[in-house]
Amino acid sequence: MKNRTLRIMLKWGIPLLLAPALVLLGAVVFQEKQHLFISFMAAILAVLLFFTGFERKQVGTRRMVIVAVMTALCIAGRFIPFFKPVTAITVIAAVYLGRESGFLVGAMAALLSNFYFGQGPWTAFQMLSWGLIGWFAGLFADPLKRHRALLLLYGVLSGIAYSLLMDVWTVMSFHGQFTLPLYLAAAATSMPHMLLYAVSNFLFLWWMAKPFGDKLERIRIKYGI
Amino acid sequence: MKAFAEYHPIAQTIYFLTVSGIAMFSLHPVITVISLCGALLLFFIRNGTAQGKSHLYFLGMFLLLSLLNPLVSHRGATVLFVLNHNPITLEALLYGICASANLLAVLYWLRSFTQIMTRDRLLYIFGKLSPKLSLVLSMALRYVSLFTQQAKKVTQTQKALGLYREDTLIDRFRSTMRVFSILLTWALENGIITADSMAARGYGVGKRTNFALFRFRKADALLLVCSLLLTGITCTGLTLGKLQFTFYPVVTSAECTVLTIGSYLSYGLLALLPAILETKEVLKWKFLLSKI
Repeated sequence: MKNRTLRIMLKWGIPLLLAPALVLLGAVVFQEKQHLFISFMAAILAVLLFFTGFERKQVGTRRMVIVAVMTALCIAGRFIPFFKPVTAITVIAAVYLGRESGFLVGAMAALLSNFYFGQGPWTAFQMLSWGLIGWFAGLFADPLKRHRALLLLYGVLSGIAYSLLMDVWTVMSFHGQFTLPLYLAAAATSMPHMLLYAVSNFLFLWWMAKPFGDKLERIRIKYGI
Repeated sequence: MKAFAEYHPIAQTIYFLTVSGIAMFSLHPVITVISLCGALLLFFIRNGTAQGKSHLYFLGMFLLLSLLNPLVSHRGATVLFVLNHNPITLEALLYGICASANLLAVLYWLRSFTQIMTRDRLLYIFGKLSPKLSLVLSMALRYVSLFTQQAKKVTQTQKALGLYREDTLIDRFRSTMRVFSILLTWALENGIITADSMAARGYGVGKRTNFALFRFRKADALLLVCSLLLTGITCTGLTLGKLQFTFYPVVTSAECTVLTIGSYLSYGLLALLPAILETKEVLKWKFLLSKI
């Protein structure tokens, strides 16, 4: 009962009370870094809202376990040096299991793997970025499933988008505000990473999309998830 | 009184959120130094000189970031020297040092947080928010080690069958991918069996409860109230502009008033709270030992 009231409070409280209050707090209390504060809080609140929404949904036990399996694979995949299959696995999970599962796999993989790789203020942004990559992949599931070229393009674009989103956080966390020249400088320095993300997404999707997709599809048909 | 690591998870989470939040969102040098001292003190009290190498990594990051800022940002009035037609300013250098120290402080707070928030504590916090999510979380955490073990077994079998080649990079990549693929099939089937087993035992039929050994005691309430109160005082100082500190174009700080000092003191106390609690516990232990 206590948990339910907490969730209802969160559901209505976040958009109606917490979000405006935090914007105000950022503008008044943390004047020097208000952009960072507000965007940080927005990231956390977006993820929280999604999580409370997930709780209300009727999700089968099997689907939940499959989400846990895909999340664990993402985390295990992050131990591969340089080339990270996290985005690729998130995208595949999203395409075959739906957008909610995609968001969950991405966000949870970011949160949990950072317990091994080091938590930082970036965790919230990583959760949101990976979650959104998964969510949008689930949204465009049909065309992505049918055309392999589109899937690969999505992988490359999401690698670039992930890097650019994280650059926003880099600039704001260090300089307290967002200015275009600083952002361009940050984006330029993170160019190698961006390329690495794009290339590894492309490669892993190239290799995994068909076999992994078939496996997930098989499980889906066999057990009716 | 208990050592800091044994407090209630909610009290600990609120504490870490407030102490690292203030450090993250304010750029005042004094606050930054206080925060860094508190974070380092807590980490060293808990770990001693273990993990020595990781400190070098953080030190390197600190130096790199503080020296990078004057190269990227050319704001500021005091020009130290000119490098490739770009002025290197004192203000940008100071800003870089301060901002990197700030980041370092937040990272050390979070390192201690990660150590103290063991998995049962983490699941407890998430279970309050969403039992379903907490289940996904705990299963994923369990699966990571399970999959690593299973991957080892699969690799060994593949090697024994003569199917695992590591002659060239491409061969190795292919073999790894095959192990990964086998692992996925196994993991999915295994997951379905787990889910069916859970369903057969009545998962999802009634209200979900979770078991936790944590009890919210007086000391936890005290810690909670202390952290909120001290944060409140510091935030009042921030709101009223008593902790204003600007780097550009020249370094200026707000006038030092009673409230400024009060904010420093309250934030200092907040930052040192866990260190004090831990030290107290150690001293008590030593004292009790000496009595035997």
